[in-house]
Amino acid sequence: MTSVRIFFKGGLTSYRAMFGWLHPGVAIPVFLIEPVAQILLFAFIGRSAGVADDRFYVIGNALQFASIPCLFAMAFTIDGEREAHTLSVVLVSPARRLPLFLGRALPVIANGWVVTLVGLVAGMLLLRVTIPGSAWLPMLLVVLVSSASCTGLGLATGAVALRVRDSAVLANVVYCGLLIFSGVNVALDQVPGWMADVGRWLPLTHAIEAARRLADGQGAGSIGGLLVRELGLGAAYTVLGLLMLRWLETSSRRWATLDRV
Amino acid sequence: MWKVLHQIAVCYWLQVKVTSTSWFDGVLAVFYPLMFATATLLVYRVRGDADGMQFAGLGAVVMGMWTCQGVVAASALARERWSGTLELLVAAPTGMPRILVPTTLAFSTVGLYCVVVTFLWERWVFDLPLHITSWPLFVLGVVVAALTLSLFGYFLAVTCVRYRTAWAIGAAMEMPGWLLCGFVVPLALLPTWLHPLSWVIPTTWAMEAVRDAANGSSPWGHLGLALLVGAGYAVIGGYLGRQLVDSARRHATLALT
Amino acid sequence: MTAVDVSDLQRTFRTSTGVFRRTRKEVQAVRGVSFAIEKGELFGLLGPNGAGKTTTIKMLITLLLPTAGSARVAGFDVVKDVREVRRRIGYVFGGDRGLYERLSALDNLKYFSELYGVAPREQAKRIGELLELVGLTGREKERVEGYSRGMRQRLHIARGLLHDPEVVFLDEPSIGIDPVGARELRATIASLTAVGKTVLLTTHYMFEADELCDRIAVIRSGEIVAEGTPAQLKERVSTARVVEIETYGVEQHVVDGLGVVGGVRTVGLEERGHLQVVVLQCEPDAEVAREALALLGDVRVGRVTHREPTLEDAYIELVGS
Repeated sequence: MTSVRIFFKGGLTSYRAMFGWLHPGVAIPVFLIEPVAQILLFAFIGRSAGVADDRFYVIGNALQFASIPCLFAMAFTIDGEREAHTLSVVLVSPARRLPLFLGRALPVIANGWVVTLVGLVAGMLLLRVTIPGSAWLPMLLVVLVSSASCTGLGLATGAVALRVRDSAVLANVVYCGLLIFSGVNVALDQVPGWMADVGRWLPLTHAIEAARRLADGQGAGSIGGLLVRELGLGAAYTVLGLLMLRWLETSSRRWATLDRV
Repeated sequence: MWKVLHQIAVCYWLQVKVTSTSWFDGVLAVFYPLMFATATLLVYRVRGDADGMQFAGLGAVVMGMWTCQGVVAASALARERWSGTLELLVAAPTGMPRILVPTTLAFSTVGLYCVVVTFLWERWVFDLPLHITSWPLFVLGVVVAALTLSLFGYFLAVTCVRYRTAWAIGAAMEMPGWLLCGFVVPLALLPTWLHPLSWVIPTTWAMEAVRDAANGSSPWGHLGLALLVGAGYAVIGGYLGRQLVDSARRHATLALT
Repeated sequence: MTAVDVSDLQRTFRTSTGVFRRTRKEVQAVRGVSFAIEKGELFGLLGPNGAGKTTTIKMLITLLLPTAGSARVAGFDVVKDVREVRRRIGYVFGGDRGLYERLSALDNLKYFSELYGVAPREQAKRIGELLELVGLTGREKERVEGYSRGMRQRLHIARGLLHDPEVVFLDEPSIGIDPVGARELRATIASLTAVGKTVLLTTHYMFEADELCDRIAVIRSGEIVAEGTPAQLKERVSTARVVEIETYGVEQHVVDGLGVVGGVRTVGLEERGHLQVVVLQCEPDAEVAREALALLGDVRVGRVTHREPTLEDAYIELVGS
């Protein structure tokens, strides 16, 4: 029971405290203006290059943008705890690791979910893009899945951030990686083979593919396999992240690197 | 006069040192737009559109300058506040423009570095040598872009310092700027009601001048416009800067520490 | 000639709290402060947190405008002749911040030399002299981010003196410094007046104020409650003697009961580690120890000391009442 409480309560408090992103002065530029700007940018690039349609770019970028909270929040949460010197307190506490960090993940996933939806709706309104009504419900699920798997990647990123001094830099690098390799703006069959291979091992790729199929009018049945793969990748990154955390935790106890800012 | 120039030069050089040794402001400010340039070129490459690639490639080279200035300048004073030096700057007998402009010039310098990196990246990764008719005029266009951006950055710095979340405002300006300055999307494609916004950004005109230099037409008109708009920001920024410091003294609004 | 002339200086702050329902509050941080500092004097401004010391200093260094009253520094008005004032003053504050971490000490000093108008051809010599003065020669090429608190503080002082100011404002300069470092700092501060500079020092440390200051003003809740030399302030304290009795566990009512002893003005209790020290502030020539000890009865007692009131006693009496 304690695990569940840690999961929910600990997560939300830490998120708000460390992040401060729920302040409108930050939330509006970061979660509203930026995603919409990115969607518009690539939609216009697509128009200029005569490649694909607006809907292609709206879906790709809206989903990719969800990775911002997912990547940064987890990285900041861990980094922020280190900056505030609470990380050692947290790690030393008897709370079990899994619910502790996953609890911090829950508000992040929700954040990512909301951001994507905002992006989708804004993109649709501004660019007059339509998505079939029947696709909406499965779409919500796809977005949730992609947020969750991005959060897994975020956890892995945050774990590495314990060693790296500037987690914001690392999160930005990973974000760019997703932009280039996950088929956000160019379909995987239109990039060099090696890039497509990399993309298939990243979160987001399958979710974007699934969302595009739904938007094209294909039924929910066609995306089952994609969602499973997406969830699998997310889980794999989560496990990787937790393992890294444990390894870094033990090695930092040996080398006292945990509190070095 | 000599003393003023010496001061600006020394402050500029030291601020370059401060900015370029930061992972966030130095390295990431170059890397991030470079990746977006890559994503853009990947789209243009799908149809093998050579003209499109040239257009976007040229724009992408200058695109990073906007990131290095527009994003970073908004929180320039906020960062001084955070490091405790804002008070010392405001209390100095030297006026705010002479203190801030060297800093924004330093940001522009990192932007120039971005130009070179993107240029080389396009050549090596995309096999895209840019066709430039007049190299001297191209360089001039880029330098004017750097200069006018630093004046715009000065304006941004004094405007955004009041907001505790100035960094978020800066970050949100990045992509709208890329779009509005016509780096990778022809301005004609944007809705007409957005055009006036593009016109009041000096980089739009500098970019046009760079394109003129590349395709052999005369860039002087566009250069003139860029400098004019930049000067406008210098004047407005100067006025706002004085207002800012005045208000800070009167109402303690700046929260100097 | 007066270096600093402050006349009925006042400063009110309007603060608003809350995001949705903004409540406005007016706080009078400084309520009419007046004092004068002669050239070459080391003047101390003492007071508890929130008393208005920093606000007063900020008005004098032109960072804040007074809401009423006037002040002249180095002969110039702080409101009207801002640039002239800034050219002639140095401002040093305690703490870790106020320097560019990624630059070396030398670069920091170069930067501020430019901002404070030090002539280029004089900079190298001046910086060298100041590094020597504060004891940082040989370490100036290192980045500030690696400096200890003490080194940063010394660098701050060097920075504040770059343009050879007439008046130097030191705001709690020895905060967080180890005793040896603080002693060196005090020596440096004392040497400033030796070369004719005027110094305004705010500090929490009484012995520092006692040792360094020619004159002191005690400020409390925005007003000056006392002003004079350290000796004069100590005299102002209504007691001439302080008797301290170490005890190992005494109850408050017993301590309070000591008030009846003839000659005792105030009774206080201080925790010092595992001891509780009864502090009796007495009239001059009063012999209270024997009676007090008798009243303490079974309480286990340690040392009994008599001492002259210190500046700290004076200060406590002035700000505590």
